[in-house]
Amino acid sequence: MPDIQNIMDQYHDLPFLIQLAWALSGVLSIAIVLLTIYLKIIRSYLRKKAQHHLAYKNKYEIFLVEYLYSGNDDGSLSDTQQTIIKKLKTSVKNKAKRKVIISILYKLMNEVSGEMSDYIKTLYHETGLINFAIDRLYNKNWYIAAKGIGELTRFNIEDVNEKVSEYALHPRREVRNEAHLYLVNLFRFEGLEFLNNLKTPLSEWAQVQLLETLQKFDDQQICDIKPWLRSSNNSVVLFALKLAKIYNQFEVQDTLMELLNHENKTVRIASIEVLTNLYGLEAKEMLKANFKDLSLEEQISFFEMLEKLVIPSDEPFIEKHLFHKNFEIQLLALKILKSINLDKFMAIDKKSNHKKANPEILKFVKST
Amino acid sequence: MDTSTVKIILQILHYLFFAYAFAAITSYIVLSIISGKETIDYLKKNSFVDYKDILSSTMSPSITIIAPAYNESLNIVENVRSLLSNHYVNYNVIIINDGSKDDSLERLIEAYELEKADFIINEKIKTQPLREGVFKSKNPAFEKLMVIDKENGGKADALNMGLNISKSKYVACIDVDCLLLENALQKMIKPFLEVTNAKVIAAGGVIRIANSCTIKGGKLVDVNLPKNLLVQSQILEYLRAFLLGRMAWSRLNGLLVISGAFGILDKETAIAVGGYDTQTVGEDMEIIVRMRRYMEEKKEKYRVSYIPDPLCWTEAPDSYKIFISQRNRWTRGTIETLRKHRKIGFNRNYGSFGLLSYPYWLIFERLAPIIETIGLLYFMILVILREVRWEYALSFLILSYLFSVLFSIVALYSEELTFHEYKKKGTGYKLVLLSALEPFVLHPFILYAAVKGNYDYYFNKKKKWGTMTRKGLATTP
Repeated sequence: MPDIQNIMDQYHDLPFLIQLAWALSGVLSIAIVLLTIYLKIIRSYLRKKAQHHLAYKNKYEIFLVEYLYSGNDDGSLSDTQQTIIKKLKTSVKNKAKRKVIISILYKLMNEVSGEMSDYIKTLYHETGLINFAIDRLYNKNWYIAAKGIGELTRFNIEDVNEKVSEYALHPRREVRNEAHLYLVNLFRFEGLEFLNNLKTPLSEWAQVQLLETLQKFDDQQICDIKPWLRSSNNSVVLFALKLAKIYNQFEVQDTLMELLNHENKTVRIASIEVLTNLYGLEAKEMLKANFKDLSLEEQISFFEMLEKLVIPSDEPFIEKHLFHKNFEIQLLALKILKSINLDKFMAIDKKSNHKKANPEILKFVKST
Repeated sequence: MDTSTVKIILQILHYLFFAYAFAAITSYIVLSIISGKETIDYLKKNSFVDYKDILSSTMSPSITIIAPAYNESLNIVENVRSLLSNHYVNYNVIIINDGSKDDSLERLIEAYELEKADFIINEKIKTQPLREGVFKSKNPAFEKLMVIDKENGGKADALNMGLNISKSKYVACIDVDCLLLENALQKMIKPFLEVTNAKVIAAGGVIRIANSCTIKGGKLVDVNLPKNLLVQSQILEYLRAFLLGRMAWSRLNGLLVISGAFGILDKETAIAVGGYDTQTVGEDMEIIVRMRRYMEEKKEKYRVSYIPDPLCWTEAPDSYKIFISQRNRWTRGTIETLRKHRKIGFNRNYGSFGLLSYPYWLIFERLAPIIETIGLLYFMILVILREVRWEYALSFLILSYLFSVLFSIVALYSEELTFHEYKKKGTGYKLVLLSALEPFVLHPFILYAAVKGNYDYYFNKKKKWGTMTRKGLATTP
């Protein structure tokens, strides 16, 4: 005790800065010791959690596979299935077990179809898993709500479509995306109606996911995409252009022609690409006439269009641009000329002293 | 000068050192708080994301992996196999054999059934010419692979060749000896596709150390803590730098560097700025600074993103000689980049880039080793003159040491609560112990390398990359 008293007295006699440094060192030392102990606890917890996860996974995988393959011939639930549902009903009350069951069901849902898929949906309802997902929809945390929507999408739960529709215009991009995927997953092209009112940009990430979802269905009967091609939201226009390309929308060619004069360059370029795909000969003539007014990127896209849609009467135009200052255009022009008039192409050496001519390109096109 | 003036000058000097240390520590605390917030947000945002569609979609944007190789004959076949096993659909791999003197090309030709292909290069960026030419595989199984054999021009030149050849919208520039996880591309491309209010010009990920890890068939199957103390210390250093530093700068949109080991660039912007600078040894930092500068000057909204997932695993130097050479180069790269773009510093025309990121790098990265060295020299002079006030010196030395230990432990928490890669029993204690040892086994060498880097930069201009001998990651067939 006298030693401690002595140390305390000495401490009080120290200048303020030194007192502060020692006090902070004391706090840091305690923090280091406590954090080290806690780190040990966390690591042990994480290891145990992983072990439990594995054990649950093994257990419930067997249960669920047995459930799937023990149905009655008439499609009704067998006694075995009902017993499994009863057991799972208790298990899903535990969060960790619920997580494992859901992850196995996701996996199975991707692997099976038809009757099996219906069994999974029945199990999802009967065990009460659906209620946990629906509860998430009402959670004040956006990411929990988004997670809930994602889960309901994967199990094709239609009952909550009105509630999920409310999220289609949610201020958080991530929640909106999940809601859009839900709607498209359930209602296919009709689910895209949210595009009519979408004021926020539709990210490329969301667009790819929506397109992939749409392509999963057997019924590829697409709805009218004209309103979206005319949308004031550029991302919606770009998405509609992708739809037009994938689903060969010949009937919207006129609208696509209008888009060649769109104020947004990306939209104009995407329109040229779609029209190329749709053999838009009218568009080709229009672009040819306005070639000088196009941006360089549009000019390149146009030459890519010409590569596909060229006809002999395009020859004078191509000849005019054989030595275009741009590498890609020069390459494409030479390739196109070679494809429509080999003799003229072979005689080109005489002209190749043109100041913008790239002899490497000519050599390459000749050799290929 | 009378003694009172000297005393006043010394007093001012003391306060300057103190203020610098205080500012550095405060910045670490602030950055780690921001980093924590960013990591939590990232995990929340990605907790429900289904990457499956992006993975298999042909509508997803194309990515070219550009991997320069120089005398990598030992592991090149395995490394390329690993690059070809990515799960993303719309990607291709360009290996640039940068004038290797060994049999790298022959090994690739044999292993991947390569044949010479007709190819024309649109030389948007000037590079060294082709040597043997362009090679593609006869085997459709390797249709994603292209090998370019060119004259030696250095890593930056090889990457520029890749930029010229790539037809993709995005390029992933990587070190050929890095191990890229199968889901790396789909995760790294997400920031480019999801941000709608700005153009993402580059994205980087956390780099992890693969020494002693088990790799099977080009895949990482088991993460181990290496026995070598130097490598262990670097693991801790990387955790701190990536999980507590760069995540914070990502949130502040203030990242100045995307690791050359693995990063994705928007090709259009990379070419618009003239590609990689072949005159610097810090080409990975320099191109990011130049791309940012270009966007700022164009007054276009942009972002440089970062994700915390451990997607790329690399081999760290396991000898002090190689380690010092590597850090020496990093120091020279930083000096070169900051000097080249000094116009940005403290210039409000560049917004937070000029007023926050650049000054931070200048003061706490570029100048830190110099200030530390001056501090040490000054302290030694005081010791010789018997002018040290030991009660101050000791208390602050202990305080700064404890802070550095605590900071490393916080980095360990960040790792445990997010990706928990070092799962094995006993590793936790080792890492905590390492937090206590690292200031002695790693920091002095970092300081030495940085001082040497400064010296070489100013007085040894001929020095370029230095030696970086790699042993190759241990693989199990």
